Amino acid sequence: MFDEVKKPLVSVRDLKMHFPIYAGLLRRRVGEVKAVDGVSFDVMEGETLGLVGESGCGKSTCGRAVLRLYDITSGSIQIDNREIGPTPQSQLRSMRPTMQMVFQDPQASLNPRMTVEDIIKEPLDEHTKGTDAEKREKVGELMDAVGLNRKFAKRYPHAFSGGQRQRIGIARALALNPKFIVCDEPIAALDVSIQAQVVNLLEDLQEQFGLTYLFISHDLSMVRHIATRVAVMYLGKIVELAPREALYADPLHPYTKALLSAVPEPDPSLARATERIILQGDVPSPSNPPKGCNFCTRCPSVMDICKDVEPDYREVRPGRFTACHLYNETTDAADATAGHEAEEHTT
Amino acid sequence: MLPNRAAVEGVADQMALAEVKGRSLWADARIRFFRNRAAVISLVMLGLVAAFALFGGMFAQYEPDFVNFSLIGSNAYLGVPSIETGHYFGTDSNGRDLFARTAMGTGISLMVGVVGALVAVIVGTLYGATAGYYGGRVDGIMMRIVDVLMSIPFMFVLILMLVIFGRSIFMLFLGIGLISWLDMARIARGQTLTIKNKEFVEVAVATGVRPSKIILRHIVPNLLGIVIVYATLLVPNMIIFESFISFLGLGVQEPATSLGALINEGSRTMQFGYMWQISFPLFFFVLTIFAFFFVGDGLRDALDPKDR
Repeated sequence: MFDEVKKPLVSVRDLKMHFPIYAGLLRRRVGEVKAVDGVSFDVMEGETLGLVGESGCGKSTCGRAVLRLYDITSGSIQIDNREIGPTPQSQLRSMRPTMQMVFQDPQASLNPRMTVEDIIKEPLDEHTKGTDAEKREKVGELMDAVGLNRKFAKRYPHAFSGGQRQRIGIARALALNPKFIVCDEPIAALDVSIQAQVVNLLEDLQEQFGLTYLFISHDLSMVRHIATRVAVMYLGKIVELAPREALYADPLHPYTKALLSAVPEPDPSLARATERIILQGDVPSPSNPPKGCNFCTRCPSVMDICKDVEPDYREVRPGRFTACHLYNETTDAADATAGHEAEEHTT
Repeated sequence: MLPNRAAVEGVADQMALAEVKGRSLWADARIRFFRNRAAVISLVMLGLVAAFALFGGMFAQYEPDFVNFSLIGSNAYLGVPSIETGHYFGTDSNGRDLFARTAMGTGISLMVGVVGALVAVIVGTLYGATAGYYGGRVDGIMMRIVDVLMSIPFMFVLILMLVIFGRSIFMLFLGIGLISWLDMARIARGQTLTIKNKEFVEVAVATGVRPSKIILRHIVPNLLGIVIVYATLLVPNMIIFESFISFLGLGVQEPATSLGALINEGSRTMQFGYMWQISFPLFFFVLTIFAFFFVGDGLRDALDPKDR
């Protein structure tokens, strides 16, 4: 898989999304919440990039900012060789069909006053020409593709279960033949048994339509199942990005190590053997992140340099990116030995 | 205990047939509304009142503006309500048939109420939804305009308008139309603020739907429940408002009349024992307003099941 040369479909460079805080009588700007603070990553064509992290670390904001549901503070976003970072919303509308989103809460993401058919047909109405009958036929095909009975087309969302609603949401996202889909915790609101169904459906659709996913989740085992590469976020920054197996087998960043040690191990004998890393303290406020490394307040292997200098986010081993001072000295060696293989992944 | 194979397959066959049109939230609300007895009775009453306003004139033996000179001065014993004379509700102090005039007045009062509520629903909802959806500076400017209009004492302005431009039904409609939408705009804006943060609106943005379409397709239908309830409660307010203006003698011009004007006339002769001159218009006035309130309550219970 790593041998074929893949080109990135989505490439994000130094993406920042800061939300201003207004306070006081005059509503003056007193600061900002740095929800996403300088994130860079590529999503290769046909792959699934898992984006994990704890609650409030900026995963969802990052996903939405990539689709430009927000007006980003700064940074560059290229999707399918088109720069959409600074584009105004009115011009973005015509580019929307390439990129779609599946939302977390299937209940809230469907308009309760519209039938399933109208919901799935809306993107078609907006971006395609054609008769009503053609659109209806397309809706039928989409419903088949996501495993919904075509006969349910005239029903309203409240008549469906959570899993079925999520299928409706997926069908709507597929309506315009997108290349890139951001899945914002698509399974978090579902039962475990339904979660597996929906994830398998997403995988099947990826194969069928050649989709590229940015899969946002806090469920590490599910990400391990679906993702090709995994990015770990902490306090608005990506701390580590690596191919799935490498990340789970040998996490580099101390935060990733702690995060992975928190995954429940079903085998009791193994569970006793594994060491659980328990982090002290709380996540610092994203409106006032610590000086130096964001993780320095809780890092078990913190050094003096961590509290002053912000670590660079760079490739420390082929295909493995991390932002940590622990790997400062290994960088040169890695760069020297990694050779052309590393170059393939960086650009 | 286990279901046998045939039965299970029977169920499966049944399911395969079931391509039904799903029940929309509106259909659900309609069913809930018709279970509410007080609301249904009120709706029937309203229908009867409206029928009386529309068709009452046909059954009247006299035109509403026909003055029966022979009755002037002998109203107390000749103008009493009776079937023989054809004055079913008696006559007013000018010798005009009160049945015909009450039918006419009910019609005008209902029209004032419905027009006021319609203006409120159309203008107020769109204005409020637009302000709420765009937010920020647009919202600030639009809502400050509403605040400024609200802070003007409208009764005073309306009375001035009626005095300067002359009393006419058109002026009355204009005046009522000008104020009725302000509250509605505020309510619609508040609701829009909660709806626009729902994910389905975000989905529409992500799909690339135009803002105007998002407002019309996603926001307005979802705030219509509250708007309809408020509109039904607004109709009686408008009727009362018009009655007050007419009571002051500034509303509808003679020979046309409204319930408020009739009550005004009736109240002047009440002390001389002409009770029918106030009681018939008052009966229709109270009936209409009560019915609207009950229908509004019924709609609120039906459209907002969380409150039950």
